[in-house]
Amino acid sequence: MEKIGEGVEHLLHELSVLTLSGHEVHAGEFVLTNYMFFLLIALVVTFLFFMIGVRKVSLVPESRLGGAIETGVEFVRDSLCIETMGPEGRKYVPFVGTIFFFVLFNNLIGLIPGSKPGTGTMGTTVTWAVVVFIVYNAIGIKRHGVWGYAKSFWPKGVPGPIAAVVALLEVVSHLVRPLTLSVRLYANMYAGHVVLGIFSILGALLLEASGVMKVIAVLPVMLQIVLYALEVFVAVIQAYIFAILTSVYIGGAIHTH
Amino acid sequence: MEITGSLSVLGAGFAFGVGAIGPAIGIGMIGAKTIESMARQPEMAGRLQTVMFIALALAEAIALFGFVLAFVLMGQ
Repeated sequence: MEKIGEGVEHLLHELSVLTLSGHEVHAGEFVLTNYMFFLLIALVVTFLFFMIGVRKVSLVPESRLGGAIETGVEFVRDSLCIETMGPEGRKYVPFVGTIFFFVLFNNLIGLIPGSKPGTGTMGTTVTWAVVVFIVYNAIGIKRHGVWGYAKSFWPKGVPGPIAAVVALLEVVSHLVRPLTLSVRLYANMYAGHVVLGIFSILGALLLEASGVMKVIAVLPVMLQIVLYALEVFVAVIQAYIFAILTSVYIGGAIHTH
Repeated sequence: MEITGSLSVLGAGFAFGVGAIGPAIGIGMIGAKTIESMARQPEMAGRLQTVMFIALALAEAIALFGFVLAFVLMGQ
């Protein structure tokens, strides 16, 4: 029992923000942390993926990579942007697409054993969520003017006092959007890695034990494989949710009612 | 067995555990209704899926408040 506790403590220490050499980061210090390192790797991978993929552009993509990119970008254009914003969604495909693919690569790189997801820390996800918050509000203000956008929070055809309460609720729901957007992504990635880690600890401890315990170790190892597949699914779904909420927020700012 | 640790850790456990009950029921209902609707009108499946994910995200956000609260309590 104590060994499990020790293992979990070690796991949580490994998953916290550390410098590359494994020291703790002190407040106010500027160093390259483990999460920043994998964030940069994801950045390079995303960049190379697209640069190599679109080196030779043709109407019908010749390479497999080109085909994959075309499918991905078409998915962003049709299922994310046009579905939620209407025909004008085309204008925002670059923004939503960048977010979708960068989050996706971050999440997937984090699943390679030994690496961490760049999205597994609050710093990354809060920054992106705040960027999304500023962008969609700026789009709304640019389109309707400051007064027109502010008026869209006030419901029509509702008596005064109730309308005030509804408007207040609307403002609060807008203000918590960056919080929920960032915590959702971070919590999913972090919790997923903790679960995978705990099952590895359980499997390793049972394999070390003697006799019949070694046989029982099959269970956590098998569950680990299933959970890993689930985590791959979660990585893709979370990137999708982050991107679709971004486009829903932009769509809401365009079509105010 | 000796009980150690502060009560705020217990509070953190409850904050997330109890706070996740409602959203869990909600997510289950969203999934069930979406499947039902897809079975009735398969041609609407794509549109339904998009709306389902938005509704899922809204329900999940409530569970996340408990998650954040748990972290705040752990730091006490």
